[in-house]
Amino acid sequence: MSSTLSTLTAAQNLASASIPDPDRLAPEDAYYKSPPRRPRQRSPLGLAPGDGIALSARKRREKERGRSTNGRRKANYKKLLWFKQPFPDNYTDEETFLDHLQRNPRLQPYEFWSLMADSTVIVQHIASVAIFCCCFVAIAQDRVPPVSVVSWASLCTVLGWALWDYWMGQEEAEAAKATSSPPGFPPSGYNPPYVDSTSSLSPRNQQRLATAKSGLLIYAAVLGLSPILKSLTRSTTPDSIWAISTWLLCMNVAFFDYGGGTGAHLPASISTNSALMASTVLASRLPSTTHVFSLTLFSIEVFGLFPIFRRQLRSISWHGHLALTIVLVISACGGVFVTLTGGGRAACIAGVILGGILTFFAMGICSWWLIGLQKYKNEIHGPWDPARPVIRRRWD
Amino acid sequence: MPYNIAMISDNFFPQPGGVESHMYQLSSKLIDRGHKVIIITHAYSGRTGVRYLTNGLKVYHVPFFVIYRETTFPTVFSFFPIFRNIVIREQIEIVHGHASLSSLCHEAILHARTMGLRTVFTDHSLFGFADAASILTNKLLKFTLSDVDHVICVSHTCKENTVLRASLDPLMVSVIPNAVVAENFRPLSHTSSHSSHHRDAPGPPPRLGPHDTITIVVISRLFYNKGTDLLIAALPRILACNPNVRFIIAGTGPKAIDLEQMIERNVLQDRVTLLGPVRHEEVRDVMVRGHIYLHPSLTEAFGTVIVEAASCGLYVVCTRVGGIPEVLPRHMTEFAKPEEDDIVAATGRAIAALRAGKVRTELFHNQVKQMYSWTDVAQRTERVYDGISGVLSHDEFYQGAGAGGGWSATRGRAGVQSFALIERLKRYYGCGIWAGKLFCLCVIVDYLLFVCLEIFAPRSRIDLARNWPKKDFKDAKDKEVDGTKEGPVIGRKRSARHRREKREDSS
Repeated sequence: MSSTLSTLTAAQNLASASIPDPDRLAPEDAYYKSPPRRPRQRSPLGLAPGDGIALSARKRREKERGRSTNGRRKANYKKLLWFKQPFPDNYTDEETFLDHLQRNPRLQPYEFWSLMADSTVIVQHIASVAIFCCCFVAIAQDRVPPVSVVSWASLCTVLGWALWDYWMGQEEAEAAKATSSPPGFPPSGYNPPYVDSTSSLSPRNQQRLATAKSGLLIYAAVLGLSPILKSLTRSTTPDSIWAISTWLLCMNVAFFDYGGGTGAHLPASISTNSALMASTVLASRLPSTTHVFSLTLFSIEVFGLFPIFRRQLRSISWHGHLALTIVLVISACGGVFVTLTGGGRAACIAGVILGGILTFFAMGICSWWLIGLQKYKNEIHGPWDPARPVIRRRWD
Repeated sequence: MPYNIAMISDNFFPQPGGVESHMYQLSSKLIDRGHKVIIITHAYSGRTGVRYLTNGLKVYHVPFFVIYRETTFPTVFSFFPIFRNIVIREQIEIVHGHASLSSLCHEAILHARTMGLRTVFTDHSLFGFADAASILTNKLLKFTLSDVDHVICVSHTCKENTVLRASLDPLMVSVIPNAVVAENFRPLSHTSSHSSHHRDAPGPPPRLGPHDTITIVVISRLFYNKGTDLLIAALPRILACNPNVRFIIAGTGPKAIDLEQMIERNVLQDRVTLLGPVRHEEVRDVMVRGHIYLHPSLTEAFGTVIVEAASCGLYVVCTRVGGIPEVLPRHMTEFAKPEEDDIVAATGRAIAALRAGKVRTELFHNQVKQMYSWTDVAQRTERVYDGISGVLSHDEFYQGAGAGGGWSATRGRAGVQSFALIERLKRYYGCGIWAGKLFCLCVIVDYLLFVCLEIFAPRSRIDLARNWPKKDFKDAKDKEVDGTKEGPVIGRKRSARHRREKREDSS
């Protein structure tokens, strides 16, 4: 069987003749993508161990056969089906076999610092989950009044929304400048669905009004639902609640949409849903309706709205993104250490320093590991892959 | 030496399709050559038990639970008892499985090797290496093909794909294309010469003027991988660039709605005819209404339909994907990249060539008839059977295998694979770190099952089925030699047969 496997590797060798070790790719191999066709040094069939020997062996064979079959072999082999070739059906031509094979054609080697920069997105999310957990513990242990948590969070949300609104305005102005469309028409093809053209308010103000309305609606709904949420899983034992909420938060981290891309589209719904469900489950361990209301609203802000803001911030300003990451990591580490030790300011500072270093090294090690794993990447492409149609216009 | 062959696949009639007709045509031609062929498939609704088709082709419809698109539920071992019964009843020597997505076929190959039979596998499709479904299928294929005697692929691209997917020795893989029944795909002029000379149908006239209407035919299931998106994008542009062009589109599928929307949006109802689903027998009648066949597929292992179109005397415009470039010669086809712009350009070139009279479409039928025939396919398949059962010597069958030193693990010394359990386990063990051990476990369980069956349902208690009475083998052979005389020259294959006959005479 080992020789069968070596067939595969030998067959793959030939596509990357310039690479010394065919099974291991260095990042710079991506630059030599699809090398020009050259006469093959190695036989794809591995017929003979050495380079030159294969050729001579083949010649010798041909000579022997030529004697017996009167030079019938001289005809060229072509990769065609429609004419009958003077070769048996299982003949494998050494020149043309697998000549269109491509390995790792679109490989982009990773760079350490860009990977570090990209990993901040994950760090941000994990930090915000950690902050949520710390807030829950603090609320549950009555160390922090729940109303103050949710008030601060709501204040931050409103500020964030104001900033977001400002960015939207800037974007619109830029789009209008770029297209310089005649007045009277909306600047771009995008038309908000809830804009009433007969209203006296400008479209942006209408949008703001709609956002405020939906915010108020969510607020009222959570307020009304809190008593129900409080008793929803009351009868379940705490052990199950901790296990379920842990799993749900892990799901949230795992399924979160870390991709870039601007726009305020909601992140993957499975992630948001699992986080909100975790907060609902946790809410049953809290003593009063006010607690439940605060925690639920806080979770909506952290898991529903905050990711949108983070995404937008990242696309607009890298420095702002970095600053936010640092703030999040500091508060998460401090919060976790205070929660774990139950200590005061000293624990908080120690936690920030230790946690910061730990996070930085974790990011570094993971990035380095990923770069190291790149050499195992072996993507095979060839004429058997379904083609990707290139279509200029879509009829949708 | 006639063989007893069992063809096994999940796909068989009454379900329509390429694999189905391939199996049927190959089996009936092999029967014509004096072999005994049975087909084993799963039970379809309304088709159960044993059936006989034309030519005494016996079909076993094995009762099995169907999960998805007529594929049976993969239970590795549950097929064994009934399979063993059939094999013993029919005295099968060679088990030939078809289609890589058929679990029945994979199980049959495993059991057949356990029972000490020769196995052949025919691959009809292409798979990528990227997505999860392909990775799983490829692992399964590797399991089955670790211990198969020979593999047949329908095109060279398919061979490369299969060799990579299952880590096979390339010399173990033969390329034997599909074929068409050319008599069923005659151009219109052939029939009109018999019946009425003055018909108004747009048959291929000697030369098309600049104002004659050219009809482009598209017959395909309207799926994403058949390139329907490309068709939808390119069609209005083709019609806008070329006046006096009409389209006939047959087939149905999930993309049919998009196609209809595009036609309505561009108000092309008078220039595009949608026929809906068309049965395979009616394909020819649709094809002969056109001059150009457009095939915008995104992936295709062989593309039988373009051969059928060429046989009907249509000029073929197709995308250069998969095995398609190997199928037809340059003068019958216009190739395009799978891009909207290129398809429009290629169709324009094809229309111009037809109008200029550069393409002799009336000659296509006879040319295709010489290129592809099922008799030829059956002959070439027979050579594979000869090779694996040791009738052809190792050196003759695996030409170019060198001294054979490098290949001892995949092949025994006699040119055929050894049946010893330890040898088989060695082959399976190399499939992967975990998979290899799992596969070995499966093989051992399969072997124990075989031993149990031999004890509790001994061979002596299984009746042998009587063979279908057939004409004398000699007669059939003579008729066939006559047939090859008027057909194309098939020197190589016939020489193999003659050699064998000589050997038989001398012994």
